[in-house]
Amino acid sequence: MPFEPKEPQKEIKYEETRIYTDAELNSYTDEELKNFRIKHAIPALEELESGPWPSFVADAKQEALHRRKLADNRMLIERDVVEDMLGQLQDSFDDGETHWKHGGIVGVFGYGGGVIGRYSDQPEKYPSIAHFHTIRVNQPASKFYNTDFLRTICDLWEYRGSGLMNLHGSTGDLVLLGTTTEQLEPIFFELTHVLGQDIGGSGSNLRTPSCCIGKARCEFACYDTQDLCYELTKYYQDELHRPAFPYKFKIKFDGCPNGCVASIARSDMSFIGTWRDNIRIDQKAVKAYLSGDVEPNGGAHQGRDWGKFDIQKEVLELCPTRCMSLVDNELRIDNQECTRCMHCINVMPMAIKPGKDNGVSILLGSKAPILAGAQMATLIVPFMKAEPPYDNIKDFIEKVWEFWMEEGKNRERLGELMQRTGLPKFLATIGLPPAPQMVKTPRENPYILWQEKDVPGGWNRDINAYRSRHKR
Amino acid sequence: MALSLDRLGMYDPKDPLKDRLTDLGPRHFWQYFPLVIQNNYGRWIYHDMLEPGILVHVSETGDKVYTVRCGAARFMTVQHVREICDIADQYCEGYVRFTTRNNIEFLVDSLDKLEALKKDLASRKYVSGSYKFPIGGTGAGISNIVHTQGYIHCHTPATDASSMVKAVSDELFKYFQGMTLPAKVRVSMACCLNMCGAVHCSDIALLGNHRKPPIVDHQVIDKVCEIPLAVAACPVGAISPDKTPEGNKTVKIRKERCMFCGNCYTMCQALPLSDKEGDGVTILAGGKISNRISMPKFSKVVVPWLPNNFPRFPEVVETVKKILGVYASGANKYERLGDWAERIGWEKFFEKTGLEFTEHLIDDYRLAYDTWRTSTQFKYTAAAWDTSRIAAGIE
Amino acid sequence: MDELKKIIVEFAETNKKTKFYFKDIEKAVQKVNSDAKMRDIKKACTALINEGTLIYFSTGSSTMYGLKGRGITEDPIT
Repeated sequence: MPFEPKEPQKEIKYEETRIYTDAELNSYTDEELKNFRIKHAIPALEELESGPWPSFVADAKQEALHRRKLADNRMLIERDVVEDMLGQLQDSFDDGETHWKHGGIVGVFGYGGGVIGRYSDQPEKYPSIAHFHTIRVNQPASKFYNTDFLRTICDLWEYRGSGLMNLHGSTGDLVLLGTTTEQLEPIFFELTHVLGQDIGGSGSNLRTPSCCIGKARCEFACYDTQDLCYELTKYYQDELHRPAFPYKFKIKFDGCPNGCVASIARSDMSFIGTWRDNIRIDQKAVKAYLSGDVEPNGGAHQGRDWGKFDIQKEVLELCPTRCMSLVDNELRIDNQECTRCMHCINVMPMAIKPGKDNGVSILLGSKAPILAGAQMATLIVPFMKAEPPYDNIKDFIEKVWEFWMEEGKNRERLGELMQRTGLPKFLATIGLPPAPQMVKTPRENPYILWQEKDVPGGWNRDINAYRSRHKR
Repeated sequence: MALSLDRLGMYDPKDPLKDRLTDLGPRHFWQYFPLVIQNNYGRWIYHDMLEPGILVHVSETGDKVYTVRCGAARFMTVQHVREICDIADQYCEGYVRFTTRNNIEFLVDSLDKLEALKKDLASRKYVSGSYKFPIGGTGAGISNIVHTQGYIHCHTPATDASSMVKAVSDELFKYFQGMTLPAKVRVSMACCLNMCGAVHCSDIALLGNHRKPPIVDHQVIDKVCEIPLAVAACPVGAISPDKTPEGNKTVKIRKERCMFCGNCYTMCQALPLSDKEGDGVTILAGGKISNRISMPKFSKVVVPWLPNNFPRFPEVVETVKKILGVYASGANKYERLGDWAERIGWEKFFEKTGLEFTEHLIDDYRLAYDTWRTSTQFKYTAAAWDTSRIAAGIE
Repeated sequence: MDELKKIIVEFAETNKKTKFYFKDIEKAVQKVNSDAKMRDIKKACTALINEGTLIYFSTGSSTMYGLKGRGITEDPIT
């Protein structure tokens, strides 16, 4: 086995952890659900119960009915939280405005993130959701679970929370939606003691890192995204829980340039798997594609008749650098010219594979629009090996953090700081030479900000010497 | 170890540090891999899509893993998660995973198990008739629409998320269950410009947008906010300190400067923006995050505002369908929506989709000039003739 | 450590504002003690949090520190 946890993992057996009996879990029939009405009128929401896509309203009603059936002593927050949440949602539709208020103080002791305070602004009408705080639970890398873990979370969350959750939040956490201030600490103790599980990031923290499925089930993964994600999440726990950054900081790990976790658009620091040797070609498999024995692109286009696979049109001419050719039915790639865009590999996965000498490209500074506009990540490190214990990567991360913590203004994301200071200064600070790979084109304006040290003789000149050559 | 039942469980409010465990981090991923994944970690050689929503990955060891991908509302209850667990226990040795786009994936290691699993999943419906586990979301189609909290749990939204996503997904269902588009189309939704869903590089992005500047709650602002933080929060310097007639500290807002980002409200709850008539939906198109063929690109605003017509947003749904329909009939195989729009030219995009091109679609924020056309290369559409007629009086 | 803690508390007690970004605290400490390192200042803040002297104040997107009892230090209880 390539990996073992570095420390013993608390074993979870649902039969030991469980709160509810099977009878309690299966307490209603479909017939009852069909006839079930919650205590508030929710006509607009009921319009969302039909249609083929899974209905969150129909699901929420399941939980509302389930809570009605539980005995009083089988839950620690109000029975009708789900019903009040739905009632308030209906009001929001009627009013065209949200009815949630933000709170800034609640959290678990000693942590500056992981809990988001939330309050209803209609506490008289919806008393059960007067407090309705969020807890972010740090998901396991690439979101594989077993049912012992999930069922335990479910029992914990139905007993001490609303039973409503997100799988998953935008950054990657498993999000528990809605509990009281009183239950925050008890839930944290259950998570850590029973589940061996910590909460995630919020605020000016390192946010919960996330990664693609990687080597677990993808032939394109150029490094162990899960291992690197897990290692860095563990290594930077202090940064994740105790905020000292100017603002949020997101790290995401994509195994290849296809970018399934969108790290290039959604993380301050984006790790994208790549290779520096040659693309591997299996000529026999190429012929299988040419003869039509194998569907191109893993069958991704089979819903429509696009005609017979045409390697010239579909691969060679779409290659952004035109570095491929077919000579006597043998596929050739000029690897020096390849930009590793993945297109040919995606179209012919059986025949064309990434190289074997793998690592990561590191890109920095992407973010959503708030405040200075959306940014995509800029290529800073063309290639770095990504192998345990990842000291090279940790050194790089810390250099970037040092720059950002030193120079960044409050609420300034890394990408905004890089824009404000300029890429040259940023590169000098982290000790990297400039490279044409970092820009799409060289600068278009000639306003070069020369430094005194760039110029022989410096900037202090003698006007009299000048005047000895030029009359006034 | 059992979950505790006491009201405060293992927590002692008199001594909050007692027995406190911290910095545990996430649980290790390895224990959640099914055996077939553990045995073939890093050894996969290729994959194939057997049909929409069904993947097979083949290992160099000869092992195969079959994946059934199901759509899901990312907002789900413990009862739904328990049902997911029942399925995972019955067919998948108790393992299940979720994708970045909130799909549920069930993995099995044989075709027999696959068939039984598929049949079971397709048969599970809510009492109201919608699927609990629709199979699809692979290849050249639409995957789950990633989205944000909306009115379900957020304090800054300009629209609701779950309802809009449900409405749009219902109408795009054939694209979720088919692989009939020229390439994958990633639809994303965020309820305000904060974009906790970071939709700015999606093929189609649905974005809540405010249109009225904040109202100042003069009575409480000094009590519930740190006024300097509120002033500093404004990216365009529209907020300045002020005094009420009674002499209390407050702020004033230069409304004509407001860019409706809501950052002030994030910092100060006495500056609400949301408004029934003001709030609505902006639609962006043509972004992507993949490096495939062309470089990643931002989505562009193609519809500045549509009303929040709860709960099914007919105007939003129609616009998305219109864009997708024209794209599906016009783009080449493998061509993403943004690449198609660039190839035919954005003027043709507006002509073909029939979407109105208004002044709101021309950038007038920072670096706006980057998006202006500095070339004589353009295509004639009705819009070009309208402008030319007005400019030069031609027929 | 104790010296850093003292400087931080004095700053948090006397400043016009009641909530501070970490950077504000760092600058304030370094004004008094120019040798103070960022990592040590963070450790001092963490210690003050654990003693209950400082509290975190979060907007959800960014986090500040405040002195318990000064400015907003309780969420609305309904």
